[in-house]
Amino acid sequence: MTTAYMMDYEFKMKTQNERIKVEDLFDYEGCKVGRGTYGHVYKGRRKDGSDKKDYALKQIEGTGLSMSACREIALLRELKHPNVINLIRVFLSHNDRKVWLLFDFAEHDLWHIIKFHRAAKANKKPVLVPKGMVKSLLYQILDGIHYLHSNWVLHRDLKPANILVMGEGPERGRVKIADMGFARLFNAPLKPLADLDPVVVTFWYRAPELLLGARHYTKAIDIWAIGCIFAELLTSEPIFHCRQEDIKTSNPYHHDQLDRIFNVMGFPHEKDWEDIKKMPEHPTLLKDFKKNNYVNCSLVKYMDRHKIKPDSKAFHLLQKLLLMDPNKRITSEQAMQDPYFQEEPLPTQDVFAGCPIPYPKREFLTDDDQEEKNDNKRQNQQQQQTQNNQQSQQQNQQNNQGNQQSNQDNHNPAKRVRLSAPQGHPSQVNQQQMPISQQQQEFHQQQMMYNNGQQQQQNFQQRF
Amino acid sequence: MSGNFWQSSHHQQWLLDKQDLIRERQHDLSILAEDEYQKIFIFFASVIQTLGEQLKLRQQVIATATVYFKRFYARNSLKTIDPLLLAPTCIFLASKVEEFGVISNSRLITTCQNVIKNKFSYAYTQEFPYRTNHILECEFYLLENLDCCLIVYQPYRPLLQLVQDLGHEEQLLTLAWRIVNDSLRTDVCLLYPPYQIAIGCLQIACVILQKDHKSWFAELNVDIEKIQEIARYIINLFELWKTYDEKKEIQGLLAKMPKPKAAPQR
Ligand SMILES: Nc1ncnc2c1ncn2[C@@H]1O[C@H](COP(=O)(O)OP(=O)(O)OP(=O)(O)O)[C@@H](O)[C@H]1O
Ligand SMILES: [Mg+2]
Repeated sequence: MTTAYMMDYEFKMKTQNERIKVEDLFDYEGCKVGRGTYGHVYKGRRKDGSDKKDYALKQIEGTGLSMSACREIALLRELKHPNVINLIRVFLSHNDRKVWLLFDFAEHDLWHIIKFHRAAKANKKPVLVPKGMVKSLLYQILDGIHYLHSNWVLHRDLKPANILVMGEGPERGRVKIADMGFARLFNAPLKPLADLDPVVVTFWYRAPELLLGARHYTKAIDIWAIGCIFAELLTSEPIFHCRQEDIKTSNPYHHDQLDRIFNVMGFPHEKDWEDIKKMPEHPTLLKDFKKNNYVNCSLVKYMDRHKIKPDSKAFHLLQKLLLMDPNKRITSEQAMQDPYFQEEPLPTQDVFAGCPIPYPKREFLTDDDQEEKNDNKRQNQQQQQTQNNQQSQQQNQQNNQGNQQSNQDNHNPAKRVRLSAPQGHPSQVNQQQMPISQQQQEFHQQQMMYNNGQQQQQNFQQRF
Repeated sequence: MSGNFWQSSHHQQWLLDKQDLIRERQHDLSILAEDEYQKIFIFFASVIQTLGEQLKLRQQVIATATVYFKRFYARNSLKTIDPLLLAPTCIFLASKVEEFGVISNSRLITTCQNVIKNKFSYAYTQEFPYRTNHILECEFYLLENLDCCLIVYQPYRPLLQLVQDLGHEEQLLTLAWRIVNDSLRTDVCLLYPPYQIAIGCLQIACVILQKDHKSWFAELNVDIEKIQEIARYIINLFELWKTYDEKKEIQGLLAKMPKPKAAPQR
């Protein structure tokens, strides 16, 4: 065989010269605002000042194209909806094999918003999330999820930290559903999804069928998580809060989380959830739980304790989102038609409805050290809040008579859960890979731009 | 992603114009005759198919990999990247996108070595020359050239629906399905939307099986001209196959194919 060269030198040089580097286009040094399981997020500005907007630059954890990076790029490239985060560009940095994603910057997210309200509550100066804001948030979350679901995309990791809200600017107060790294196409899965990456959704937002070993993710699973978020917005407490340290297990069955759900919802009657018998972990459930322990528990009582009246429209909708039987759970489309949204105050495009935004802006995490501290601080805060929360829960439980519960230990905020994802987690598969070849040493990156369809079209035509 | 073809990058960016395609291939077609060019792509479609089968990938993943391969060379000359490297790279990328799970690097390379040695020795006398680092480097170039458009719509799903609607005939589905696979050896996936390709393939299957569904086709309300064009591409492929002996010709074609050049010597 005579093919001595894999890549043409001239081609390589030409592409390298055309490539634009992320650091040439954006200022973001020292502006880290977020660190998730799958990447570092920076707040950036254009260097050339052609606009003064803030951008979010996500550097994907690890090198190269992990499966989750591929999925995130593949899906975001196709999705376009006001309530789904918009991927503007991808930068591939060839020298260090880093992948960068460019998004619009969202100043707020529900994790921080709820944290703000909980802190106020802990300081005995409770500020509830305004009623109209809850409604607008829920409506836009449903709108975004309806779009995803009608395109056969499941989010699978809905939780407050992944619901972003735009700050001041043309899109003020608009919800952006983010963190689609784990969103998957769910028609005709090639393998049972539970096999592919066990345990991804934070337990607090996990639907009961997942905890009982359901093999496939469904739209209904996202809807449950939305129900959890709705309840949390109404009360400022994670409704299914539960201790969570043994999450390393890839076993979906999670006794304490189920116990927590039953403590709020009551134990499911067979007539309410006929197919519960078919769940893989149903025998374990029968072995581990006594339904008599939960006879005094119901969502009505739980929400009533949190001052949400059982005859309110909000409660009626919540109840439909949090149905134990996934087949009976409402769809996003039906939910958007609910009378709750037709009742005053009507949902607004700006969830803050023009009011001043009380929530602090994102802080910079200056370097890795401080970032750790910051993280710890955050974590401690959350722990404190969690403990407060538990106290109230324990009171609730006492009211509920004789429920066994073990809630005095350390609690990690929901955000951290995925850090201890099980081994063999696909996102980690690719991280130890790839010695960088000689040819890759040159420092070059590629930029691609999607937000301007017109220009795209033109560029493309120019090529031919 | 499905149900949203009209808003997809596939529809908006990757349905190419035939004239543009010809213009873009000018360089390669100054070295290769048109049928030689097609024979090279037929060969690499088989390489991708065989690799995919050895790796136990679904046909959907194999088809996506093949479309990546064709899209790359729709914008670049064959000389830019050795297709023997790009083929497994497309498989690697497609398997991640289509959520089959990441194929381990070593398994991919071993499979390439075995497939080239055992199934394509008539084309390559030496062993598969590339390693993981080559694939990973190539993958970045592939992604750039695809403009990050990774979701590809295939004719398989619309085909299933059409056959269902016709009153499910197993024999018809099997044949039409195979014709869809064959269509990956033509340019139709670069030129026409997948549902039209499905109809075109189904129509050919009906003709071969001598099934008269004319009135059913007439009610489909599609651009008949487009369907005829698709059918023509596929029938031309069948014609070509009648007189073409790949085992004899391919070495010569691969030798003639434009190839990557090293840095100029100073
Ligand atoms: N577009 C954005 N604008 C502003 N901040 C953002 C944006 N996207 C992400 N962030 C911040 O960075 C954090 C991490 O981002 P993201 O959730 O996308 O990454 P992740 O690694 O998948 O996180 P997770 O731990 O939730 O899995 C978010 O929780 C948020 O605080
Ligand atoms: Mg996140």
